This record gives sequence, C-alpha cells and structure tokens, in this order.
Amino acid sequence: MMATPATGLVGIAVLLALLLLGGRIGAVLGLVGIGGLMLVLGPEAALIKSGVVVIDTLTRYELGTLPLFLFMAQLFFSIDASRDMFDAAAKLIGHRKGGLAYATVAGCAGFGAINGSSLATTATVGMVAYPEMRQRGYADTLATGTIAAGGTLGQMIPPSAALIVFGIIAETSIGQLFTAAIIPGLTQALFYALVVFILVRIRPELAPAGLRAPWAQRWKALGRIWEILLLVILVIGGIALGWISPSEAAAIGASGALLIAAIRRKLTLQTLYNAFHETLQTSGMIFLIIIGALIFSVFVGVTGLADSAGELVAALGLGRTGTLMLVALMLLLLGSVLDGLALMLLTTPILLPVVQSTGLGAIWFGIFITRTMEIGFVHPPLGMNLYVMQRVAKDVQIGRIFRGVLPFLASDLLHLLILILFPGFVLWLPHMLGK
Amino acid sequence: MKRKLAIWVGGFALLAATLIDLLAVIGRHVGLPLAGSIELMQSMIVISGATGILIATMDSSHARVRILVDRFRPGWRASADRWSDLLSLVFLLALLIGSAWIAIDLWGGHEQSELLGVPWRLLRLFANACLAATILVLALRIFRSRSR
Repeated sequence: MMATPATGLVGIAVLLALLLLGGRIGAVLGLVGIGGLMLVLGPEAALIKSGVVVIDTLTRYELGTLPLFLFMAQLFFSIDASRDMFDAAAKLIGHRKGGLAYATVAGCAGFGAINGSSLATTATVGMVAYPEMRQRGYADTLATGTIAAGGTLGQMIPPSAALIVFGIIAETSIGQLFTAAIIPGLTQALFYALVVFILVRIRPELAPAGLRAPWAQRWKALGRIWEILLLVILVIGGIALGWISPSEAAAIGASGALLIAAIRRKLTLQTLYNAFHETLQTSGMIFLIIIGALIFSVFVGVTGLADSAGELVAALGLGRTGTLMLVALMLLLLGSVLDGLALMLLTTPILLPVVQSTGLGAIWFGIFITRTMEIGFVHPPLGMNLYVMQRVAKDVQIGRIFRGVLPFLASDLLHLLILILFPGFVLWLPHMLGK
Repeated sequence: MKRKLAIWVGGFALLAATLIDLLAVIGRHVGLPLAGSIELMQSMIVISGATGILIATMDSSHARVRILVDRFRPGWRASADRWSDLLSLVFLLALLIGSAWIAIDLWGGHEQSELLGVPWRLLRLFANACLAATILVLALRIFRSRSR
C-alpha cells in the first residue's frame, strides 16, 4: 500500500473511533501505528520498529524524570502537604473578602509545584479547601469553580507530567519546557485571583470576610511548609538556571520528600509501599501511552500527513496569528471529546510542524497545547476536573459547578489568546536564562 | 502476592534511581563524578517502567476516553471493557514479538553498556518477561469475563 496523506487520515479516523469506543489510549495509538506501518512498510518492518521503540523508550534517561517526580508527589501526599499549603495561605489571606478563594488558588499553585496532575490537585486541595469555604459561608459556585479551575495549575506549573510527556514525544528539552512554563503558570494563577477579585467586588455576598489569624498562628502554618517550599525552589530554580537536569532535579525532589517525610515521622513501610504502588501505576500508564504515541508518530511521519497539513494551512494564507487561532480552535474542539493526553499525543505529530512553519518552535507549542489541555479539564462535556470536584462536593450539582467555573474559563480563553498574540510570554524566560 | 512482589521490585528500582542521580549531582558538584550513573539510571528505568506497565494493567488503570463508554448500558459497558482488553492484548503482543525478535537477534552479541558493562540482554529479557506477564493478565481477564 502507498504511504500517502490519505492513508494517514484513514489512520486518524480509525484511531478516533477506537478511542471513543473505549480502547486504552496507549494501546489504540500503538495499534493504529503498527497496523498502518504494516500496510505501508510490511509486517516485519512494523514489528521490528515497535520492538525498537519499546526498549528505546524504556531506556531513555530523560524518562526517569517522570516516575521520580511522581514519587516525590506521592510522598508529599502521604504527609498531607496539600493541607499544609492551603492552611498557610488561608492563615495569611483568608480573613479578606474572598480570601479563602485566593488561598485556594495559591494552594493549588503551590501543590501544583510538587505534583504534575490537574486531577490530583483538584481532588486533594478540594478536600481541604471546600469544607472550609462552605463553613465560612462562601457560595457553592465560587468555592467549586475556584477549586476546579485552580486544579488545572497542577498541569502547567513545573514539574508537570504533561510537559515531560510532550518533551519526550516532541524530542525537545524538558528543562526548557519547565522554564517556559513558569511565567504562563504564574500569570494563570494571577488571572484566577483577578477573577475572584472581580466576582467578590460585584457580589460581596459570594465570599464573606473572616477573622484575621494572629501572627503566631501564621508563623506556625508557614513553619509547616518552609522546607517544602525550599525544595520546590531548589528543584524548579535548579532546572531553570541550568544547574541540574530535570532528571537530577526529580531525584533531588524525591530524596528531599523522603527526608521531610522521615523528619515528620511519617515514613513507614506502608507509606513507602503506597507511594511505590501509586507511582508505578501512574508511570506505567503513561509509559504505555508514550510507547504507543511514538509508534503512531512514526506512522504519521511515513504517510507525509504532517507535511500536507502544513502545506494546506500555508495555502490558506492566514498568517501567524490566524494559523495559531485555527490550531487553538481545533484543539479546543477536539478537547471536548478527547482527554488531555490523548489530545496531545494525537495532534502533536500533525500540528507541531504547522506551528513550526509559523516560526514558533516546540517549546512554545508545548506550553500552548498544555494550556489547551487544561481548558479541556474544565469545559463540558468532558471537563474531568468538574466531575472530580463533584465527588468532593457531593451536595452541589454538576450544572452549578460548571456555572461556577465559567468566569475562570473566560479568563483561560483570554490567557490563551495572550499566549498566541505575545509568544514572548512563553519564550522570554528560557531565552534569558539560556544566555 | 505477585502484585506485591512487582510493586516492591519496581519500588526498589525507583529508590535506586533516586539515589543514583542524587549521588551523581553531589559527586559532580564536589568534583567526584559518578562514572556510569546514566547507564545505571537507564537500567532502573527499564525495571520500574516495565513493572509499572504490568501493575497498571493488573489494576486496570490505563487511561481511556470514557465519554461514550460511561453512557452505555451495563451489558454494553462490559463488552466495551472486554474489547478494550483485547485491543491492549493485541498491541502488547505485537510489542513483545518485535522486542523479543530483536532480543533473540542480539542475544549472542553480549550487548553491554560502555562504561560499566551493564548486560543489556538481561534487561531486554526482564522487559520482555514483564510484557509477557502483562499479556497473561489481560488474557486471563478476558477469559474470566467471558465465562461469567
């Protein structure tokens, strides 16, 4: 069979159908890739190529970054770091109007820096922040909306599992991706804080002011997170300044988490076993997806589909902004039916060359696609964070959670537009620190 | 029991990887570089990664798009789960065939890493054994769900 862009398109149609019928993402990506390569190159070449990809992937030094950061996050789960982060932020600013909502955003950003998952950030911060907000008379829409939106920060603020996966698929520097994510991650948190500020200004009854915690309590709360913050600064700062590689940073993070857990007398054999279990389960799931995605991208490369898509978009003559808007629209639409990783792995082999043709590179695209993935976490029909939030706030209907997240979703779209109009927002920091 | 063993094996590989990279960083900064640390890390990634795939399959925690499946009737949902297991089995079988093919071809060559002489053929063997075990887990699950 001839390797043509049409073959690639058929492959993508089959892939979408199998994904929607509930096939596992990694298996479906890989199966379509191997099937396509069998048709185009023959069975022997396809099987050998897939065998090569398995061992090449499992022996990639950079891949060590992922399980070690996951291990660090699991150890921090075991010492209730999310509760400590939220508690410290709540003690500092919780007495202001909307203070607990700001504290939730700060807690999500802080917890996002030790854990690279949106869903985990939403669930863990939600379990702590939601009862506290409701107890203080916060509206259910504001409470659930802030947590569901804030949870997405876990995906953007480094270390981020999505960025590690993207770095491996796009064969680009994970360290530079982490550095590039710092400004978008922080500004995203600021945007959320701004949304809370505006909402509380317009409707003060949404979030009443509380009692100011005395400084003794504030210092005590800060005392419970200082070593975690120090570790986070060392890990992210070390990568950004080029002192350590992402994999080394992950090892330092995991060692630091082990030490902190030991000092707090929470490092038992059972804790360690649970951390191993959760880490291996998640990393195994992601490794299989990476293997499948790499085989699929070989197939897409062989068919020339990416080149044709690039030529087609160039022929439209939309210019850089128009092209990027089109790409964003496509990602947002696909993000309505595909979960984040599937979206990234399906579209990267095709859309990355299109974006590169506009003069922007893999680093910018990595941040951009992660941002669109985050938006997919809070908009229906998928909106996984909304469902996670509903499991935490069982008394609130999903419709009200969605209503609560709408203002944050609007700020997300504005933030995405800023990334498109001002790519320097993403590229400035890695450029400055790379000098 | 087997699951517990897999978790401890993968977990010790994680701990070893943590220690290796930590020592490598410290060594580099104090002028005592740890030779071959990357090769050791690669070995640990093979062990933790391969056991991770096995554990994720045992726990049925591989990611799926559930937008349609969750709306199916229970009977259809069970069929979709079986179908998903079958697709995964075929994929892993293809991976195992390809990977075993290469391992057999290279077995006589005593493939080793450059600095420490880490025997890659044993690591390939370990990865393939984990793939085979994962296929077995899926086959048993499909068989049991059909006989129910």
